[in-house]
Amino acid sequence: MAETVTAYVKNVRDTAKSFWEGMSVTLSYMFRKPITTQYPDRTGVPVRDTIPARYRGFLEVDMDICTACQACERACPIQVINIDIVKGDGKTRPKLNMERFDIDIGKCMYCGLCVEPCPTGAIQHTREFEGAVMAFNNLTLRFVPDDRVPFPAYKVPKGSEAFPRRPLGEITRALLKAWDAPPPPFPSQADLDALNKKADHGGKPKPAGLDPAAMGRQLAAKALNVKDDKPKLQKVLEEAMAGTDCGDCGYPDCFGYSDAIAQGKESSTEKCAPGGADSKAMLETILVSLKTGKVPEAPAAVKPAEPAPVADSRQPEAGPKGPPLAQTLGKEELYKVVFDAMAGTDCGDCEYPDCDGYTKGIVYEGQTDLNRCAPGGEDTRVKLYEIMLGTKPPPK
Amino acid sequence: MQSFLDNLIRNAGHDPSTWPWTQFVYLAGMGAIAFVVINFAAITAGIFSWAERRVAARIQSRVGPNRVGPGGFLQWIADAVKLLLKEDLVPDEADQFLFRIAPYFMMVGFACVFVCLPFSHRLIVADMNIGIFFIIAVTALIVVGIIMSGWSSNSKWSLFGAIRSAAQIISYEIPAGMALMIPVMLAGTLSTQGIIRAQGGWPWQWFLFDNPAAFAAFFIYFISALAEGNRTPFDLPEAESELVSGYNTEYSGMRFSYFFLVEWGNMWIMSALATTMFLGGWQLPGLTPERFDALTGGSAVVAELASLALFAGKTLFFVFVVMWLRWTLPRIRVDQMMNMCWKYLVPISFAGVLFVAVWMLVVHAVPALGIAMRVLLTAAGAFGVGAFVVRTLKNIRDTGDKFDFTSNW
Repeated sequence: MAETVTAYVKNVRDTAKSFWEGMSVTLSYMFRKPITTQYPDRTGVPVRDTIPARYRGFLEVDMDICTACQACERACPIQVINIDIVKGDGKTRPKLNMERFDIDIGKCMYCGLCVEPCPTGAIQHTREFEGAVMAFNNLTLRFVPDDRVPFPAYKVPKGSEAFPRRPLGEITRALLKAWDAPPPPFPSQADLDALNKKADHGGKPKPAGLDPAAMGRQLAAKALNVKDDKPKLQKVLEEAMAGTDCGDCGYPDCFGYSDAIAQGKESSTEKCAPGGADSKAMLETILVSLKTGKVPEAPAAVKPAEPAPVADSRQPEAGPKGPPLAQTLGKEELYKVVFDAMAGTDCGDCEYPDCDGYTKGIVYEGQTDLNRCAPGGEDTRVKLYEIMLGTKPPPK
Repeated sequence: MQSFLDNLIRNAGHDPSTWPWTQFVYLAGMGAIAFVVINFAAITAGIFSWAERRVAARIQSRVGPNRVGPGGFLQWIADAVKLLLKEDLVPDEADQFLFRIAPYFMMVGFACVFVCLPFSHRLIVADMNIGIFFIIAVTALIVVGIIMSGWSSNSKWSLFGAIRSAAQIISYEIPAGMALMIPVMLAGTLSTQGIIRAQGGWPWQWFLFDNPAAFAAFFIYFISALAEGNRTPFDLPEAESELVSGYNTEYSGMRFSYFFLVEWGNMWIMSALATTMFLGGWQLPGLTPERFDALTGGSAVVAELASLALFAGKTLFFVFVVMWLRWTLPRIRVDQMMNMCWKYLVPISFAGVLFVAVWMLVVHAVPALGIAMRVLLTAAGAFGVGAFVVRTLKNIRDTGDKFDFTSNW
């Protein structure tokens, strides 16, 4: 009995005590500061400032130190970066101008591969990450705001190691403000007509445009003058290049590549990636005239002006060419060039034992089928037709 | 109520006994009062839903709803509008008629309690002489509504919830009723205003500190009221983790919101009743009810408002305690719930009633003994509150944290 009473009283006392303890604990939490971070609008510091420094957020390009080498565009595995270049002669206007530098943040996968090849550190990941927009089209960051006002490329001073940059994030943040703006309206028929009319009316080359063929002939003439003076020849060759010192050619800078060509150690003309088809055409013209000893003739008829800028972004081979290399080079030189054009995998798909066999077939044995290099695909076809016939390959 | 309207008619220059429209005036007056009271209940329930979420959040180191209106205060309006606009679904296999009317039973049982619930010295819908009895009786209507909704839903979860709820409410009505008998005995009346008048403004004049049995009865009543209101730790009928949502599982939209209106509105009722019975209700310290009655003009208005504020303040404190308990205690099991009721609350409340009967005789013979007991209990209560505050501050200090009630709202 006494035990039962003791247990009964103990139960009541335990209940009271656990209420007492429990309620004082919960009340004490009531009077402490909640740990919740009220993202996004009631944080003590902006959330981006609490993110680690090497966070890969939206990309940012400081156009003031961008050399227009397009290394980032080439590095991007999913073609998020789009750069449009117009070339100048390097005297009255800068050699490279950027008409467009777009990064589609909606597609970007933040891999960081574009940051690594950049020679000046112009393209960087910021710590911006808030990508919610009302209109999907607004997600494209346009670092050249107006394509009618091209941005001149930065020329790296020789020997400089550091490139001053605007504070990281400033430029992208300014662009992000435009994200809340309504998207550009879909052009009406009247707008399109007006645009076409304008294009027809001003049907001359774009102001900063450059005729690579004419410039190539100029340079070729210069090169002939200094044919035996290797350093001077190197200077002429370097002028045909983009001059961004991007290193994409495998040489440390433009000097290295042009010097190798001048010394005869390098025969490929297509390694200047920023210069693209223009540089290649100019270098080829120079090399051909050095070989033949005379500057190629300008085409008889003045070539009609380049079609409207929209037309040929996919046709890098624009511009006239000299005669095909097959007619200008000796067999041995031709062999090298043709061999270079192939994929070099020795796969045997062409029914020759290896690339060497197919090349010999073309150069020495009169093989006319230029479509056999399977690993090289369309690229190799284009090159082979250009080398052997000076034409574009027929569509398959 | 009637005298108030009679006064109005007299002021308009008529004699109520001869005036032909008296009955219609009474009817219109009743309609107006009912409208005000039901809206008061609905709005307090809505505000409590917001307050409970903020309190819960603070206790769990969160912030809670703070975006709609100042401090998130208008959240409850947004929620209510959302619920009103939702589709009112009736399950295919449900008993259509019972399913539809069950929420109204709960609403009626809930709203009727407000008839006898005092708000201030003069503010009460009807000061019935059987006030407490009436309140206990109409509260039982809620059980009818709960069982109806659980049965008619034709769902296992609903039925389980309803049966648990019925068992719980019927069991806990006994200790609750016995605990309420103690202030009734001390005051000698069932009228709610009469019970408040029998107490005083100062804590030692409250029934809470009158004698040990009344002190215990207060806690028994509070625990039983929690159980009757299906509040944690007695939320077995709507245990989310076991029964989805209990008797209201199949409800949606406006009918669903009635259940929650009743649950949150009940917090006001149980707290107001505790204030009335044990904590001196609207009694202002230093102002006896007789002198209060005699006040006229501006001072009467001021005193009236002060008594209203005091009553509301005490009630809201207990509403907060109910919320606070919810975030302190886990749910108890069914057998524990029954154990607690029948083995502890019922015997102790019966013993308390007997003790009070004897104690009243003793105090009648030796009044000094009654005063000594009041002083002793009040001192013990004050000491308890002080010790609790110290303990709470120590809890904050021991974790290296600090008292901070104002930041990060």
